[in-house]
Amino acid sequence: MFYAVNQVLQQDSELGVLLQTLFSFAFIVYLFYAQRIQAMTMLRQIEVNLRKIKSFRDKSRETAIEAIKKFGKPAFDPTSQVDRFMEHFMIAPVDMDPAGVVGKLGQIVNVREFTFEREVAQMAPEATPAQRHNLENLLEASLALNVFYKVIRHYYLMGKKTMNIYIIMQIHMILPALIQQVEAYSAALQAFRDGIPIGDSVGPIVAAKLLNGAPTKEVAKEMVAGETTIEGRRVIVIKALGPGGSVGRPGDAIERLLEEEDGKVKMLITVDAAGKLEGEEVGEIAEGVGAAIGGIGVEKYKIEEAASRHNVPMYAVAIKQGIEHVVAPLVEELMDATDKAVESVKSLILDYSNEGDTIIVAGIGNTVGVAQ
Amino acid sequence: MRRMSEKAGPLAGGATQNWISLGLMVVVGAIAMLSLYLGFREYGRGNIELSLMYLLIGVSGFSAIGFSFFKAKPVATSKDPSKEVPVVTTLECPQCNLKKVRDFQVGDYIFKKGEPCERCEGEMVITRINARKEPKKR
Repeated sequence: MFYAVNQVLQQDSELGVLLQTLFSFAFIVYLFYAQRIQAMTMLRQIEVNLRKIKSFRDKSRETAIEAIKKFGKPAFDPTSQVDRFMEHFMIAPVDMDPAGVVGKLGQIVNVREFTFEREVAQMAPEATPAQRHNLENLLEASLALNVFYKVIRHYYLMGKKTMNIYIIMQIHMILPALIQQVEAYSAALQAFRDGIPIGDSVGPIVAAKLLNGAPTKEVAKEMVAGETTIEGRRVIVIKALGPGGSVGRPGDAIERLLEEEDGKVKMLITVDAAGKLEGEEVGEIAEGVGAAIGGIGVEKYKIEEAASRHNVPMYAVAIKQGIEHVVAPLVEELMDATDKAVESVKSLILDYSNEGDTIIVAGIGNTVGVAQ
Repeated sequence: MRRMSEKAGPLAGGATQNWISLGLMVVVGAIAMLSLYLGFREYGRGNIELSLMYLLIGVSGFSAIGFSFFKAKPVATSKDPSKEVPVVTTLECPQCNLKKVRDFQVGDYIFKKGEPCERCEGEMVITRINARKEPKKR
């Protein structure tokens, strides 16, 4: 074949000249249309992933509707209400003048929470409080998947309409990270539907293990506190009220306890799940200082504010996990890690406090599938 | 109410791309390649008309592959979104230390009491709930 090709590609042959012309033409075409070809290739990759996200989104919607029908036994079909819920949005407060923005944000978040509670109560009147919390979480996961789908579709369609490579590149570049998040949310569906502890539940599990069945009382909305003793230290342990899926309001709980104890608290330890870096093991424990708490920052602000007002040193225990574990059913490594974290909390208490001191330990995270 | 998910029409026109269409593309590519070869060979032998016909077939074949590649609806080869992980519940009896592992049941939660112990009269407590570890693939 190569012999035949060489023969026809000779400079003096007619076909050789024809092919030279064709190659030159192809070069010129590529000179002007290379970016367009690249854009088309990127659009294609976005389209593949968009289909995947759509299937996840549709699956989440179906799961939510089925779960509402199963646990809530509504008198009417909840489909339209679920669809309305999936379009819900939150407008963040203006931050041009940042003073007091956390308070404003906190108020908006509280209204959002209240709205979700009411919506779920209407959709699932027969569900128990724990089931309602799980349904709320399930619907939030569906809402998040819907937002992912719509935003990616927006960029895809806009890129397709304009064929502007910079619009297409914006979404193409962050696509792997987005897909990771979408897959994480889709793994959450099973957990929230059935009430299975998730990766984020490690904080409440550590708190519950420290409590070891001690009596608890509600100290803030969906937050409980109990007392235990560790080598002569009085330890107040707080966590979200389980076993329904809730993160509670740890900021309010800590604020209230610090006020009530009036200067007696010598140490505040927060235990939470933390994102691991590539190469780190799932379930690794790390100790540090500061408030270990995620979210949009309202609760963290309250904790920091209260701790600094009462001059209480803050220590943190982080349980490392990948983004794929955070809302997926708890993996064995993380379940094992909660025992190590309990030991870590105990050693922090023994190292940095004295007998007779009062210490607050807060198990931060979603308490789905974890009682106290 | 018309849902977004029910919106008709594909995201891009053309045939659906799957393993069958990919196989078809390979076959068309092979035929196009052969046609180009035959075209060059016939040109060398002086059969201009025949060679042009072969070259036309070859070029058309490759054009069709290029067109279908950009216009076909891609099918996501992701894992099935409905695939769920198996979850197990571990129960322990605080009196006789009997440990029992069973499949997770809806209603289970960590530190739930109430299940009777099979060995003694005690009450078992759920101490662990976690996804079953999948055996590592070789």
